[in-house]
Amino acid sequence: MNNAMKAMRNARVMRDVKARKGVRDNEIARRAYIYVARNTTLPPQVRHQAQLQLNTFGKYTRPTTVKNRCSETGRGRGIISEFALCRFQFRIRALAGELNGVHKACW
Amino acid sequence: MSALSSRLKALTRLQCEIFQTSYNPQNLRTGAKYLRKHLRGPAMVKYYPEVVNVAAIAREFPKMGLVDPKEAQRLADVEDRKRRGKGAPKKAKNKEDSRRTAKRR
Repeated sequence: MNNAMKAMRNARVMRDVKARKGVRDNEIARRAYIYVARNTTLPPQVRHQAQLQLNTFGKYTRPTTVKNRCSETGRGRGIISEFALCRFQFRIRALAGELNGVHKACW
Repeated sequence: MSALSSRLKALTRLQCEIFQTSYNPQNLRTGAKYLRKHLRGPAMVKYYPEVVNVAAIAREFPKMGLVDPKEAQRLADVEDRKRRGKGAPKKAKNKEDSRRTAKRR
């Protein structure tokens, strides 16, 4: 709870959240059109229409617009996606022992 | 050889029937793989932890008396600035007012 409160959501993270919701809401319809468009057993005209319909979907409905960002700082690069943290936040948390199964290498 | 291949075909067909997959001996692109794939959206939405929006809750239930600390701080700062005479200028009511403020700049 406390961590969630702390986590700041900058504009880029909010945009990403929006994209994620858009993808979830439009995924089934998009999938159906993709199925028709990629189905070579269907007549070309139908497939073309399906492809045109796919192009009418908005920017924030495509899975490729979604980017894994740091859930703590919103940083877009150097993300360890398993923990949804950027490398520095990952290091801080890991050294503090907040990440289960992660500890500093020593040999 | 052909006998063997026909037997194999029959086997594949039976396999498809049992496991409810589409029988596609010519390997045509039927787009079945796009229907077979798991949906990614539900997992995608869960990526960021939930953020509690105090301001929205306070707006929804004003009787609870919740105070958004950030907003309270901002209002206090604005009040402080006003007291020191550093507040935002008054909105221009007519053309003359706006001309006067433009001149001063």
